[in-house]
Amino acid sequence: MTKDEYRAERSETASTAKRVPPRRGEQSEAMTNDRAPASHVWAFSSFGLRHFVLLFLLGPLCILADPLRPTLPSEQRTNGKNTLAAVETLKPLTVACAARIESPLGRAICTATVVGEDGYVLLKASEVPELHKTRIKFSDGRTADLREVHRETRLDLLLAQAIGITGLRVVSFGAARPLALGQWLCSVADAGKETRIGIVSAKFRRIPGTGAALGIRMDEKAAKGGKGVRIVGIASESPAEVAGLQENDVLLTIAGEKVAEFRRVHDIVNKRQPGEIIDVRYLRKDKEETCRVRLASRTKVLQNWEGEDFANGGISLRSDNFPEVLQHDIPLLPSDMGGPVATLEGKVIGINIARVDRVTTFALPVEAFWTEVQQWMKADRHPPKAVLAQ
Amino acid sequence: MRASFLLFSTLILLAEQVQAADRQTEAKGAKTDIATLLRVQHDVQNLLPKVRPALVAIQSGDGTASGVIISADGLLLTAAHVPNGPGKEMRVILEDGTITTAKSLGLDKTTDAALARLKDRGKPWPFVNLSRDVAKAQPGEWCFALGHPGGFDKARGPVLRVGKIIKQTANSLHSDCVLMGGDSGGPLFNFNGEVIGIHSQIWEGRDQNVHVSMAPFLRSWEAMQKSQVIKTWGSGAGGYLGVATVMSDDLELAVADVIAGSPALKAGIRAGDVILSVNGDAMTDQQQFSATVKARAAGDTLKLKLRTHGKERDLSVQLVQKPQEEGQ
Repeated sequence: MTKDEYRAERSETASTAKRVPPRRGEQSEAMTNDRAPASHVWAFSSFGLRHFVLLFLLGPLCILADPLRPTLPSEQRTNGKNTLAAVETLKPLTVACAARIESPLGRAICTATVVGEDGYVLLKASEVPELHKTRIKFSDGRTADLREVHRETRLDLLLAQAIGITGLRVVSFGAARPLALGQWLCSVADAGKETRIGIVSAKFRRIPGTGAALGIRMDEKAAKGGKGVRIVGIASESPAEVAGLQENDVLLTIAGEKVAEFRRVHDIVNKRQPGEIIDVRYLRKDKEETCRVRLASRTKVLQNWEGEDFANGGISLRSDNFPEVLQHDIPLLPSDMGGPVATLEGKVIGINIARVDRVTTFALPVEAFWTEVQQWMKADRHPPKAVLAQ
Repeated sequence: MRASFLLFSTLILLAEQVQAADRQTEAKGAKTDIATLLRVQHDVQNLLPKVRPALVAIQSGDGTASGVIISADGLLLTAAHVPNGPGKEMRVILEDGTITTAKSLGLDKTTDAALARLKDRGKPWPFVNLSRDVAKAQPGEWCFALGHPGGFDKARGPVLRVGKIIKQTANSLHSDCVLMGGDSGGPLFNFNGEVIGIHSQIWEGRDQNVHVSMAPFLRSWEAMQKSQVIKTWGSGAGGYLGVATVMSDDLELAVADVIAGSPALKAGIRAGDVILSVNGDAMTDQQQFSATVKARAAGDTLKLKLRTHGKERDLSVQLVQKPQEEGQ
């Protein structure tokens, strides 16, 4: 089952999940004290959701089947067909300058923004830990393998080159920082095929990082025989759950390092990057097994311990630790990250970098990366790389 | 559930009077153009500095929510599930980070409407007006939402969303301004900068965001200002006094408890008082007393004869509307 399928399946039942606070004698990777504020912050959220679920289950028919109450047809809603007609003419400046990154079987992984006519594209780095296992499909239908040029963890950006491709349409950049709240934007969506609209919805700002996490709670006491660390809880839709780890599994090694204590597990995981893949060896019913886990941001795991209810299509593994973001309310999926965001004039002002929650998407404003990206391209185009004179 | 939404969607559009020409063409199902979007943007950006100072973040119990100030003397609209009862103290944070407190007044748990009042600060509060023309918020109208999703965040500031009204019901509006936890109680605005909705509930679909309309607020305004709990679908009329009774060892009708905030407490009735008569009729048992009070409407005055510590006294009490979840 692919992750997307998995997510879709989960979302049907997500609302029935219950938040279980860590019990005494158990440790989440984040330490119990850290977890408390996260659950407090969302307390009204959980109330509101459950409240509504109840209301809906009790009387959905009487709410919905009232013919005297007209409902706006979906094509006339903000991201309906008729409204999106306004930005249809921008597609040559947006969709035509984006591409889809897919698995060898054709499953959409993420989106790319074309920045060099000779095949240079930008991607969200944490979505493609294994670039060699992907290929790119351009809007004109051409496909190609990708070569990794530069991976910049600080920005979560990856510059790659499509091998043997030239004559691409390149985005035209415009300034992002002068844009005020309420400014319309349009984004490439649906893995590079469609556009969606929304607005600048909050202040430009830095998003601090919190490290990476697996999404597990661990026993404080060493496992039986003093070997390994027992898992006592797994967060819904977390890296651990997606990788198939279960309660009562005993962790033996993390990324090749033996673990005998929960703090060690926390330390090993926390200093890595969200999106990174680590090997985990564990004991299940006295049998040793292994799995590969793709880590997520710790904030993402902690704020969604019961699953990504109501996030509509899931959220990005890395959702924090960015030097500067533009926040907008365009409805997108994690697989739309890496795609361009443009003004209604078709000027690309940023690249979508994280789907964060039901109301939030972050984009890296052009000012935060473009100067650097040009340098990486220049250095890559002109080998041998000249050593500058002092 | 999303499928049902679409299934039951109806294509009927009310023949309404729409002022703006662009909105009129949209109602006929025509395509939107960039000029329309730019007008929406222009209006939102013009209104934003005027309405934003009236938005507040609320911390109550162990949760965070939003609210909006609607008078210079500090009346605040929010969702009923935020204070969850009258007389609750709430911590309030203004847009600039100023922290103050508010106390919840009346609320209507059925429709999720609630009123609160900010602590007096000796100068007027920034406020917005609410729309009294509830029927005007029709499907297809542009609107915008403000709130503090996930709680107050100074670096981020309030979060804006622009969208359209999808549906109007007797007590609510549905829109595609996407909401989440922490937005509860925040305002939905029309393009006059008036509050037309208070964020209340969401369902899984992105277009399933529900706001309390102004209807339940306007309908119950007086009662809410008096800190009453309203139950719109009612449990029968009848005045409310706010005492619980018990038959004493001497088989007299005695007051067992007086409910906080009730007319009885304000009139000076206390636990232990013996109720001798109401409006001249001698009271001999609990059912009789209960029926006598309930037979009178809110606003009526009762004359009671009591005996307190062996001394008889007379007093008058004005009945109020019966709150939802309290004793008789």
